[in-house]
Amino acid sequence: MRRYETTFVLRPSLSEEEINSVIERTTTILTGSDGKIIELDRWGMKKLAYLIKKESQGFYVFSDYCSTPEAVAEMERRFRLDDAVLRYMTIKLNNDISEEEIAEATAQAEQKKAAAAVEAESTDDDTDSSTELNEDDDTDDDLSADDSDRSE
Amino acid sequence: MAQRPQKKLFSRKKVCRFCADKELGIDYKDVKTLRNFVSERGKIIPRRIVGTCATHQRQLCEAIKRARHIALLPYSGSIQS
Ligand SMILES: [Zn+2]
Repeated sequence: MRRYETTFVLRPSLSEEEINSVIERTTTILTGSDGKIIELDRWGMKKLAYLIKKESQGFYVFSDYCSTPEAVAEMERRFRLDDAVLRYMTIKLNNDISEEEIAEATAQAEQKKAAAAVEAESTDDDTDSSTELNEDDDTDDDLSADDSDRSE
Repeated sequence: MAQRPQKKLFSRKKVCRFCADKELGIDYKDVKTLRNFVSERGKIIPRRIVGTCATHQRQLCEAIKRARHIALLPYSGSIQS
């Protein structure tokens, strides 16, 4: 098993169901030959730094997984055929990953996710009405966290 | 008059930011950090100006190119937003 990470960008016009189905299809391919998903993160809608297929925005999905080179090739072949996928990039992180390492990485990813969720929840409660936070997508979480600290 | 501090204006300390701060990793997903190392036109700033060491500049270069590929950073032109 090799460890990879893939980031792909989907057309902004897709509905949530369509996005889900693309993600589902790719995970099915990757987990097909005993592969495992370590982390799947929807970064959401982001502004593209340049136009791709005349789109100025894209829905980013990030995945960290271990799988076989054949599965990755198949996934990329589908991406190339699929008009909904604007861009994809796969990076090999590791040539050989053991079961223990997979478990460890998965636990780490879950921990990170849980921490992010707690942070989001605590900011959701008391900073709903602040509109200024939406200016910068990247720093949204940090900003709102700071904000809630100050207001308390 | 003898001790004019003017010279100091032009001598900036060039220390590799990644060597100085071991916590700071180089990752194509970390666009906020990468933006410090590209010019307004989106070009990678040369090592002689930003002062990163050879090893880290190479990693940085790779990361910027990856970020460009998935449109997190521009190939050329101004950085939007
Ligand atoms: Zn360095």
